[in-house]
Parts: sequence; C-alpha cells; structure tokens
Amino acid sequence: MGSRRAETLERLARLCRNGECSRVASRLAAPSGFPELDASLPGGGWPIGAIAELMSDAIGIGELSLLVPVLSRLARAGRYIAWIAPPYLPYAPALAQRGLPLERMLLIQTRSLQESLWAAEQALRCPAVGAVLGWPAYIVDRNVRRLQLAAEAGGSLGILYRPLEAARESSPAALRLRLHAAPDGLAVEIQKSRGGRADLKLRVGVADGSAL
Amino acid sequence: MSAGLWLCIRLPRLAHEALAAAADRAVNAEDLAARRAAVERAAIERLAAWAYQWTSLVSYCLLDEPLLWLEIGASRALFGGHAALLAKLEAELAQLGYSHVCALAPSPTGAALLTHVGQERCATTRSQLRSRLELLPLSLLALPEPVLAALQSAGLRRIGQVLVLPAAAIARRFGPGSSLYLRRLCGAASDPRPAWRLPATYRARFEFGSEVHDTTALLFPLRRLLLEFQGYLRGRDCAVLRFTLEFEHYRHAASGVTIGVSTPARDAAQFLLLARERLQAVVLPAPVSALSLEALEFTSASVVQADFFGSDAQQLQQLRLLLDRLQARLGDEQVRGLQPEADYRPERAWRFVAPEQATAASGVRAPARPCTLLLQPRRIEPPARLLSGPERIESGWWDGGDATRDYYVAGAEDGARLWVFHDLAEGGWYLQGLWT
Repeated sequence: MGSRRAETLERLARLCRNGECSRVASRLAAPSGFPELDASLPGGGWPIGAIAELMSDAIGIGELSLLVPVLSRLARAGRYIAWIAPPYLPYAPALAQRGLPLERMLLIQTRSLQESLWAAEQALRCPAVGAVLGWPAYIVDRNVRRLQLAAEAGGSLGILYRPLEAARESSPAALRLRLHAAPDGLAVEIQKSRGGRADLKLRVGVADGSAL
Repeated sequence: MSAGLWLCIRLPRLAHEALAAAADRAVNAEDLAARRAAVERAAIERLAAWAYQWTSLVSYCLLDEPLLWLEIGASRALFGGHAALLAKLEAELAQLGYSHVCALAPSPTGAALLTHVGQERCATTRSQLRSRLELLPLSLLALPEPVLAALQSAGLRRIGQVLVLPAAAIARRFGPGSSLYLRRLCGAASDPRPAWRLPATYRARFEFGSEVHDTTALLFPLRRLLLEFQGYLRGRDCAVLRFTLEFEHYRHAASGVTIGVSTPARDAAQFLLLARERLQAVVLPAPVSALSLEALEFTSASVVQADFFGSDAQQLQQLRLLLDRLQARLGDEQVRGLQPEADYRPERAWRFVAPEQATAASGVRAPARPCTLLLQPRRIEPPARLLSGPERIESGWWDGGDATRDYYVAGAEDGARLWVFHDLAEGGWYLQGLWT
C-alpha cells in the first residue's frame, strides 16, 4: 500500500518536472463527431474540463455545425448546454434536425460583457452543465484563466468564439483553433493544443446546406 | 403542576442589537430609548417564529428583560437530547448575532431565574432544580423589592431558606402572589404560559438605527432575517417558492424585489446567495430605513426532500440552483429555452419557452435548415452566387402571413454560406439565415 502510493507520487513528480502535468488533466475528451478532427486532438476529441477558443472573422462558415455533434452527445448524456449571449438566434428546427435535445438548451441573455463572463463562469462550474458557449467581444487572459478553472471544477467544455485577431496573442485556453471557410466544409488550423500537436491544418466536412 | 421541560432564553441586549445590526456607527441613546419598545417587540416576535423549529410551544415576555421560552419536554428526543438541542440552538443564536443566556428547568419561572446564574444553568428534574436553587442568593428571586428586604432583614440569605418556609405563612405575610411565585419557581404550582401562535403568513420587519445607503450593507441584517425565516419554515415544516424583500425609505415610496426559487426551498444560505445576486442589480431609489421580508404562500416540505435522491435528481437540483442564480442576477426573462413549432414559415417555426420546457421536436419535416436565423429577414441585393436551391415555401394565407418564397443557399465573398429567399410576390431578395 505504502510503496504504491510512493510510486504514484514519484510518477506525478516526474510528470510535473517535465512540465507535463497539464497533460494528465487534459486526457479527458469528448469525440467531436469528425474523425479527421478527433485524430488530431489529444484524447481523441474536445477537451473536457477546459476552454477551447474558436477564432474566425466570417460568420456562417460552419463554426457552430462543428460543435453540434459534441453538444448533442453531451446533451444526450443528460447534461445541459448553456449559450451565453449568442450574437444571433440559434435556430431550433435546425438544431432539432441534427439531433440536439432542445430541452437541454439554455439560452442566456446578458446586458454586458461582465454579466456574460459571470454567467459563463457560473454555468461552467455547475456539474449539470456539459458545455458553455460564449462570444466575448473582448476578453483578457486573466478572465480566460478564470473560465478555465471553472471548466475544470465543473468538468465541462467551454467554447469561446473570438475574432481572428485574437490568434496573434497567446491565451491560457487549452485548445485554440483558427477557422476558415473551405469549398467543401470548414478549414481548421490547430494553433495550440495542450498535450497535443499544434500547427496542424485539416478540413472538416460540416453541414453547409449544399444538399438543399 | 407544571409539566415538561422549559428552555428559557434571556436576551439582555435585544433592542440594541436589533437596531445596531445594519448601523455602521453606534446607535444614538435617545433614539434607542424612543424606539426601544417597538424594535424589541418586532425582534422577539421574529425570534419566537424562529424558535418554532425546536418546539410547538413558544412564549415570550418583555416586562423586565426580553425572555423567550420554549417547552422542549416533547421535542428534545427529536434533536438528540436536551444538550444537543441546546448546542444547536445556541449556535444559531450566535449566528443571528444576539447576546443570550440559556437555561433549562422543569418550570418556566425556574428556567428564567437560572438565566441569571453564572454556570450550571440546566436542571432537568424538580429535585435537581430544587438543589440548584438551595444555595443561590435571595436577591435572584423576582419578588417585589419590599418582600426581598423583609426576607433579608429576617436574616435569610439563600433561596433554600425561603423555600422551606410554609407556603401558607408566606401567603399570609407577603400576599398570595409571592407564595405562588415561589411554588411556580420549584415547579410545585401550575405555571401556564400564553402560547405565541405562528402567523399564517410571514412578515418580519427590521428597522435600522441609521439609514443604509448601499445594498451590500443590507446583507448582514438580511442574513439574520433569512436565518429567522428558515427557523419559521422549519417550525411550520414547510417551504417557499418565493418571498419578497421590501425596502422602506424616509422620503420615497417603498421599493422591493421578489426572490424566487424553482424548487420549494427553506435554506437560509441558498436564499442569501440568491438575494445577493439579485441585490447587485438593484439601484436603491433612496437610503433604506427599514427592511422587511414577506412570504404569503407556502408549500409542503415533503417536496423539498423528494428532489434529493438519485444522481439524476441531484443533477436536477444543481441545475435548479444554477437557474435560480442566473435568474436572480439577470432577470427571469433572460434565461430561456427554444422549441420548434409546426409552421412552414421559417420565422414562425420556433419559439422561446421557459428553460427545460422544450418538448421533443414537434416541427414540420423540412429540408436541412441553417443553425442560425435572423430575427427579421434583411433585404439584400440579388445574390451573385447561388449554391443550391430553390426550395419553395408557400403558406400562411389563412392568417394574413401570406408568403410564397424560393429559398437558396448563397455564397458570400468571405466564404460564408447564406440562407436567402426570393419573395415571388414582390420580387425582392432577403437574407434569413446563416450556415454557421
């Protein structure tokens, strides 16, 4: 018993020395529903208990469709999805069509960035919530870190949609993706991936209405 | 014969503490004297309601010093014996911030006397009480001053020396009142106390010694009000879904907020958390001179328990706590759910619902829809690049929303895919959604 504990402690110490402690925490992942993306993410999916930043300048390139499978998966597992002040209306018929259980959706309107951050933190900390989506117009590192801690505490996935210019600066988020329109789906560039490979480019086949 | 076991709480600084709770400076002595009676009565009635959680018989008296009695003979077993009950009760009194001395005796008069003793204030049987009283000084007896003086001049020093005198002799010499007092003291004569009744609705008012200017300063007195409220709810074995906080102002009509919970609750800590969120958003129209808490509707407490078993139930409880917090700070209307509606017109194929209230897809079968909709279709130039379509949507003539539209997916210059329609009736093009 005592030797096993000592062994565990030693292993932890070794991991920390190598600066890999975060890798232990980021092992938990939820499959994205896109095999090409899962293959490039540590743990094979979106990091659970962490913040992921999705950065793009265009609206309407499949940036939400990229998340619909994981949101559906979390919601079907009984957890709630909190949308904090989305800049546009999530369209219920489309989300239902794609299998998202709408009774698990919470749409939260706020009056200020401060309220949005507060609501996001509350939701991330709540164990009943599986994912939180936010669209902060502007957010400082300190606040990303706060949300990161809240996501760890609640075991939830935090998604921040940010403008592309945010990619020029660093961020404490566990995962940072740049998104661009692509002719047959969505182009994803992995800028940062805690415990995984960065600087990867891949193409994801999100629903774009071309089958209309 | 008095029966049972009486817990007496003496509250030597009640009026002062009731007033001072929110005041950041010392209460003016004149001010206090003028308002003492009203403040004291309000405070002891709140405490009487609070005390109901431990017993079904509560009585109070404000004649000399504020005294509160609880008959705990029947209920002490429920709380793990009188010592455990006393410990719980004293811990809550300390939280409430009232100086207090508690004593226990088989008679209310005896318990009241023991609150003036430095130690060993618990006597659970008449013989224990009698031996406890024996050696105490005569001056502790609540007898008229001339009676005490006469007893002392007769050379008596201890209560025990008075108790051995024949009751009839005392009655003859000092009047029947004195005799009755002494017999009640030992539990030898009936000692009925008027039972204070729990009101059917709850209203507690808290007057401040000085005006309170900001909402954070309201939190301390609010905490006390909520703890007392929790005691009342426990005493009635019920819970609430909402209660109202009212702020009185000297030169302004009263203002207030209603605090609601989604599941019946009676937990002071939960209430305080919600109230704190709600108060952050409140702008006081004027400084506050008094605070009151009112609850008019109550639900059975069994509902409170029912939600607490199983992990699903636990998760639901966590969600409710989150929703309550969000709604308290942001407003009830700010947290909603979405639901599809059976209508062919895209703008009417959905609606807002209360959170958690969305039901399984009742929408019409339709081709793929974009994840994002514009609340109002926006007029655009005819799109240069149509990627797919058309899908014709015709409906609504029967209720005036007549529409014939051809829908397309259009490509924007930045690569975004737009959901647009061509209005066949008037020829215009409109943007209605985005393939986010």
